[in-house]
Amino acid sequence: MSRTRSLMAQLRHARGENAPLVPTMPLPRVEAPPARVYVPARETTSTTAAAAAKHTTALLGIGHVGTRYATDVVLQFQAELAVAHSAVAAELPDEWAAQHGFLPLQSQATSHREFLLRPDLGRRLHPDSLARLRKDAQRGPQNGANERTLGAGPDVQLILADGLSAIACMGSGEQLFAATKAACAARGLSVGTPVCAKFARVWLQDEIGAEVGAKVAIILLGERPGLGTGDGLSAYAVYGPKIGNTDGERNMMSNLHARGIAPEEAAPRLAALAAAMIAQGVSGVKLDLTGIGAGGREYRAPQVRERLVVRDA
Amino acid sequence: MLEPILPNVLAVKRIPHASADVLRAYGADPSKHTSLGLITCDQDDSLYVALDEATKQSDVDVVFGQSFYAGASHASGRLSGEVLGVLAGADPQIIEDGLTATLRCLAHDACFYDADGKGTVTVFPHVISAVGRYLAADLGVAVGEPIAYLVAPPLEFVVALDAALKAADVRSLKIITPPTPTNFACAYLTGVNAGDLAACEAAATAFAAAVVDVALQPTR
Amino acid sequence: MNLSATIRGTRLRFASVKEVLAKANAPKSGDDLAGVSARDPVERVAARAVLADLTLRDLRENPVVPYDRDEVTRVVEDGLDARAFAAVGHLTVGQFREWILEPSTTGTMLRSVAAGLTPEMAAAACKLMSNMDLMTVGAKCEVVVRANNTLGLPGRLSSRLQPNHPTDHVPGILASTREGLAYGCGDAVIGLNPATDTPESTAEILRALDDVMQRNEIPTQHCVLSHITVQMKALALGCPMDLMFQSIAGTQGANAAFGISVGLLDEAAAMMKARGSTKGPNQMYFETGQGSALSSQAHHGADQVTIEARAYGLARRYNPFLVNTVVGFIGPEYLEDGPQITRAALEDHFMGKLLGLPMGCDACFTYHASMSQDELESLKVLLAAAGCTYLMSLPVGDDIMLNYQSTSFHDIASVRALLGKSATPEFDAWLDRKGIWVGGKPGPRFGDVGVLQ
Repeated sequence: MSRTRSLMAQLRHARGENAPLVPTMPLPRVEAPPARVYVPARETTSTTAAAAAKHTTALLGIGHVGTRYATDVVLQFQAELAVAHSAVAAELPDEWAAQHGFLPLQSQATSHREFLLRPDLGRRLHPDSLARLRKDAQRGPQNGANERTLGAGPDVQLILADGLSAIACMGSGEQLFAATKAACAARGLSVGTPVCAKFARVWLQDEIGAEVGAKVAIILLGERPGLGTGDGLSAYAVYGPKIGNTDGERNMMSNLHARGIAPEEAAPRLAALAAAMIAQGVSGVKLDLTGIGAGGREYRAPQVRERLVVRDA
Repeated sequence: MLEPILPNVLAVKRIPHASADVLRAYGADPSKHTSLGLITCDQDDSLYVALDEATKQSDVDVVFGQSFYAGASHASGRLSGEVLGVLAGADPQIIEDGLTATLRCLAHDACFYDADGKGTVTVFPHVISAVGRYLAADLGVAVGEPIAYLVAPPLEFVVALDAALKAADVRSLKIITPPTPTNFACAYLTGVNAGDLAACEAAATAFAAAVVDVALQPTR
Repeated sequence: MNLSATIRGTRLRFASVKEVLAKANAPKSGDDLAGVSARDPVERVAARAVLADLTLRDLRENPVVPYDRDEVTRVVEDGLDARAFAAVGHLTVGQFREWILEPSTTGTMLRSVAAGLTPEMAAAACKLMSNMDLMTVGAKCEVVVRANNTLGLPGRLSSRLQPNHPTDHVPGILASTREGLAYGCGDAVIGLNPATDTPESTAEILRALDDVMQRNEIPTQHCVLSHITVQMKALALGCPMDLMFQSIAGTQGANAAFGISVGLLDEAAAMMKARGSTKGPNQMYFETGQGSALSSQAHHGADQVTIEARAYGLARRYNPFLVNTVVGFIGPEYLEDGPQITRAALEDHFMGKLLGLPMGCDACFTYHASMSQDELESLKVLLAAAGCTYLMSLPVGDDIMLNYQSTSFHDIASVRALLGKSATPEFDAWLDRKGIWVGGKPGPRFGDVGVLQ
């Protein structure tokens, strides 16, 4: 406030004037409500949406209310977010692996939060799990202190893991595991003891594969959920698993679920990939994929968008 | 009583590159001024204070400031009010800064006050805590001195000026008696001791109080 | 140079400027993962107290990675403007913070000293600033650049249209592109992250985007964000290319993990200058993000904010048209939750702008980070209020290829309407002509793809 105005305010007060000073804007008048309000009718089926849906799963042609979304769109969007978030939040129950015929393993991460924040811990086996793996899994003969010769163990070590979606692991994971195991066997590849790892990152396949002396390690794990997809699995395969392998030495397939690549379709591709790795003695960027039909080093199938919210009349 | 009566700005225009004849006619110097800013307002004294404020915030010079005969109620047009101020500067940005300071001062600081609760007697008891280049040159004081800029109608003014001079340790720099263009009377006071802001404030407060007293009891 | 401080009678001593910078950093899960963060809030504030009294000269003389070991440090030091540095080098970080906050320090003044600041100085100031401090200075900075249109003017909020598709199916890409344009998005760039990283597909997509822009006379730029070597090959094939893209990081080692070096970037920039299709002088587009150096184990024991600032020091060499931090993409191991992502976005925007870059932000989260959609929407408003040059824009903010949540077409329109911002002048005039955005609000053809051919 200006100096003169505050002096005058004081003088005014000293002379007993207490009515409020300016500004004395009149308060806005509240209008009487209209008899009834109407929402303009919205197109329920947009021609743009239909045309775009032939080419993309992006949510197009959804219209707008001012600059915001219509209520239907908001609900669908929130449902898709909820699917993604609940998939991340889910934990693999400790007893699940054993109940489903897997050797239960766990990484060095001891809680779900630690697993999310410490990728380094998710890449190594907990000492108890390491001991269990050494005791109970089928392994190749030893050559020195716990060192296994490459390929002295099974041709393929399959690992099921929670990764970033325990829901996917417990959902189609078991089916994909069984199908892949059968597909490998059909190609004459030996498959190691079924194991299931909790709080696992991709690179955990290196330690497990090396410990059993497998030629190829394949980890099937829940992938980072996307909007509306919480049940997708990714598969990573590596030849000559050992601690210190980089991502350039791995091949992967993602989007493995009913609306993407179904297990019965993914399994033969994974078996073909493992066979090619063993035949060529390499994996990753160096692997020649010609004729494998595995769809490139990082194959990703398009997915279908589901309508998640149905409002009961 | 004593509610602020806010000045209304009626027109604000810029001439980025003024012709030399216009510059000279309004008191600017074409060798150092290029751009002009024009402003009209319905309170002459508020605008003079605001123009002075502009000289503190920007490199502008106030080259023209004249009140119109008979005040805002008898203006020559809707946009004329009772005063025209002209700012001159070396470039448009200086003018812009000067106008910004002027408008801010008119909106938040300088104004007349209602002295009788009906708006029929008004008073301008303004304290400038540090005078700018414009008024300092006119009054012959150093830039940065505090002054009281006091305006009231003719009779009220005499009583109030007397009260102001007796209320604090102040001296007058200039007294303008009526008739004037708007027929208000005006005085500029400063502290007897340099930099005495408190004295200026006491004088302005006494001035305003005396105008109110006269307005409430004009015949007794 | 003093490296100790006393907090409530306890004296805390630090071994190096690098340690002070790291421990002064606001909490970040990535710094915990790297093992460089303060052990508690008391140690953090002690580090800040030490940092406040270091001079900018101290920071120049103690880069977090030594000159002889890292080409990013060399780019910064060799390119530093001596006159600009001389103006501010004597200030302590605390005094510098106050100087940049001072209202009399204008955007023009900040721009004039930018070339004399090293990334470590920007990072140091950042660590002494609250979120609102970062916004206050960010909003003052003005970095204006030009390609086919003029980006970064005051009162503007631009957007990158990101029409990604899981299989690079061109009709699908164009469907998203048209829709985004109809919502007034895409004035910063129409930029696609390709699923397939080949020169042929890069060229094919660029030609398709170019065709849409030509037919509808849209004043913007296009870009396909494949690896820079792939784009160079595509350019050699003779396709139109308005902007050349690359992800960059703040150390030589981290850039090596991206498959790039200063030499390669120099070569790419020279090639763009000779063959790029933009009218203006700014032709490069860089993306960055806190934590990328740690993820390739090339952080040299420095914190992720300082390393991020160093990426801007590198970007500056190429006078880019666009730089944006992809703030929440990297995951919770680097930025755990909404508050950390929000903080990082405001930090990155501030540091980039202070260093003289036209800074944008991909305000986003992955679904395994603890951030809600509401927090993300708030962040977009904060960024726009802080003067962020551009945000991303996708259909409902959902990237169907990269699986993360970013800004939607609708969000750009909403933020513009809320804060009274508009697109670049050239693009805004186009929107007005098409009836998409008129007088600061949605026009009669807003959201109507029928306006496009």
